[in-house]
Amino acid sequence: MIASIVLLALFPFIGVPRSWLLYVFLFSIYLAMANMWNLLAGYSGLTSLCQPAFLGLAGYTMTMGTWVGVPWWVGLIGGGVVAALFAILISLPVFRLSGIYFAIGTLVVPEALRLVFYLWKPVGGALHGAGAGYMVKGIADVSMDQIYLIALLIGIGSIFLMRFILRSNLGLGLAAIRDNERAAASSGVNVFRLKLYTFIISAVITGWAGAVFYLYQGYIEPSATFNVKWTMTLLLATVIGGMRTEEGPVFGTMVVVFLYFLLARYAGYSFLIQGIILVGIMLLSPQGIVGVLRSNRLYRALAQLISAR
Amino acid sequence: MPQQALLNVNQIDVFHGTFQALWGVSLEVRVGEMLALIGANTSGKSTLLDSISGLLHPAKGQIEFEGRDMTHLDPYQIVELGITQIPEGRGIFPDVTVLDNLVIGSYNRKARSKREQNLKRVYEHFPILNERKKQTAKTLSGGEQQMLVIGRGLMADPKLMLIDEMSLGLAPIVINELFRALKEIGERGITILFVEQNVRRTLQEADRAYILETGRVVLSGTAAELREEVQVKKAYFGI
Amino acid sequence: MIGSGDILTPIVMGFLLGGLYALIALGLSMVFGVMRLINLAHGDFVILGSYGAYALMSFLGMDPILSLVICIPVMFALGFGVQKYLMGRAFGISMEAPLIIAFGIALIIQNTNQIFWTPLSRGITTSYSLKSFQMGHLQFPLAYLLDFLAGVIVMIALREFLARTYLGRAITAASQDKRAAQLMGVNTNRIHGYAFAIAMASAAVAGVFLGMTFPFTPTSGISFLAIAFGTVIIGGLGSMLGTFIGGIILGMVQTVGGYFFGPATQMLILYLIVLVILTIRPQGLFGR
Repeated sequence: MIASIVLLALFPFIGVPRSWLLYVFLFSIYLAMANMWNLLAGYSGLTSLCQPAFLGLAGYTMTMGTWVGVPWWVGLIGGGVVAALFAILISLPVFRLSGIYFAIGTLVVPEALRLVFYLWKPVGGALHGAGAGYMVKGIADVSMDQIYLIALLIGIGSIFLMRFILRSNLGLGLAAIRDNERAAASSGVNVFRLKLYTFIISAVITGWAGAVFYLYQGYIEPSATFNVKWTMTLLLATVIGGMRTEEGPVFGTMVVVFLYFLLARYAGYSFLIQGIILVGIMLLSPQGIVGVLRSNRLYRALAQLISAR
Repeated sequence: MPQQALLNVNQIDVFHGTFQALWGVSLEVRVGEMLALIGANTSGKSTLLDSISGLLHPAKGQIEFEGRDMTHLDPYQIVELGITQIPEGRGIFPDVTVLDNLVIGSYNRKARSKREQNLKRVYEHFPILNERKKQTAKTLSGGEQQMLVIGRGLMADPKLMLIDEMSLGLAPIVINELFRALKEIGERGITILFVEQNVRRTLQEADRAYILETGRVVLSGTAAELREEVQVKKAYFGI
Repeated sequence: MIGSGDILTPIVMGFLLGGLYALIALGLSMVFGVMRLINLAHGDFVILGSYGAYALMSFLGMDPILSLVICIPVMFALGFGVQKYLMGRAFGISMEAPLIIAFGIALIIQNTNQIFWTPLSRGITTSYSLKSFQMGHLQFPLAYLLDFLAGVIVMIALREFLARTYLGRAITAASQDKRAAQLMGVNTNRIHGYAFAIAMASAAVAGVFLGMTFPFTPTSGISFLAIAFGTVIIGGLGSMLGTFIGGIILGMVQTVGGYFFGPATQMLILYLIVLVILTIRPQGLFGR
């Protein structure tokens, strides 16, 4: 596995085609976000629909930072912090809710932010003179290779992070909560705090991934950023791959990014198809790819081998 | 005196997920009788009632009503056959009036045409429900709520009524009233299967009884027979 | 930044608007009551209704209110089908499955609309929808009044249905105690189908009136979902009258807020209200 990571890291330097680089780049970004969503919805029972809020906030932090002289990488890291703070802030209203209420509450948050950033233009600059977008200043100083490697770092890092969390006390607590929240609470599990931790962690990682994306794109504007389409894609990635599994998001993201390339020409239909696939998978094969694979003995043997390392 | 079997439960195994709650349970309910099911909380008695009502389905075994197999029917179909259950915890519709609670009871096709007639009968058994008919169900006392749900069960025009832990949390005086009403109901030809924890009281009221323990029938017989057995097994049941 | 004109104008507008909001929310409230499901796609179904009426008007020249004769049964059937084949199955799969599937459906509707109708903003205009009416010395759009009336009518219709018909009572019963309802002979699966179908039918009505009042785009669904949710939260779940009052309150707070802070902030105010209410009193003003 280490070998494949090294290989991926070397991609930009060994003359691999641009589209491959883009694929791995997007894969890393979406993988990080999908892993985080899996952590939230799969392992903690929090079907959060406000991921765009985190990635947008981080993206804006970094971008606006470049307008006031903050170096992009400081803004990037700071973006994660801002996202985390925001997560803490909205956990207050939103954690009072369960299941369905939580979903709507979190759905509303990115929408609200979209309007906020539409109206709020604290630092000078606009995107092509229209809308409320910002270009990332000093983008020329950042090389694509750097962006690629950062994304790779975040993406692969998210895999290790997931592995670490799931085997930690936090992971145990989350499993207990998912199983039976009331029982977990009465055995001393501080439900609120654990959920908050997961929420914050997901905010940070999602934020970083988003910020890197906007670093790559070079500009950011509210309606595409705080858009439910992000949620759709990473939800799909998690569900296709298999919720509540460690490998699931990896497979799912591979498929989703592949789909993205496939349907790039049919922009309008892309999300329609994603929606149909999502509904179809949930109904027909809710365990996702991993679910199907796990019923195959060869796969199970392979998995044993890898996890034994 | 040989009486027909109204309900026949035949060697059923019932699971809650992976946990087996009933093991080869068999039971016979005869027409017109007052049959008791006695057992502690873990005995599986509610599971048995739920299996009869169709909320759960046995993994093995059959349940027959009036000779017809109803093992895998849906709950609403079983109600239409003529079996209603008064569940543990009463199950009132709290934010609906007493009258509306009763009316919902006659939801199934056969009962609808007899609504007014059954309503009158319910008021005869439980005059207090008539007094309180415009009140919201949750404002009623425990005993009155129990009367309400029994009345509601009657509105379904049943042939067999299953009553789960009627006396839970109620004062003896109220319990007496309820049993009196049950007797009246029984005299009208409705067969009653009731579940209780209190052995002594139950054996006073029932014609026959089954004793259930951790998912198995451990004793059955007429009330008289069981009263003797129970004396001997007093320590075993810890009454 | 105080707007021009009386504060009376936004107050009355908000009041009337509340009728529309209630109209949108009533279906959501009923579905939640019975199925404990907040249909994430509800807003998009409303917009679907708007596009439906728009289509009938553009291609057949049909008056939108008249087109309800077609829209209502179609949406009713659609709702029943969606519940039976999609949502109903979802409940057996996992905790989050209904949510995810509703989300998927929402996006499917949004994108289908986007493909057919382009992201261009549309509106349903008829001979009367642009008129205004006088009240004292103030003028209000007639559409708002129609919305309010529609809201009142639907609210009363639903209330009567729930209280007087066997099906309605069964829906009420199932929403208060599903098991007890089953034991009364209520086929709860069917009931879920009907509840959802009724909600969709009311969404159709909401969509038509919405289309006459505001311009809409394929992505307007979320805003209206938030409105419906806010209304239901304020008014408390399950009560048709409560939902109606919730709509009025929300409408008024929003328009008055817009009066003081500028019209662009109206949706933002709404989102903030939703979040605030969720924080301090999740069960709503009339909730149980």
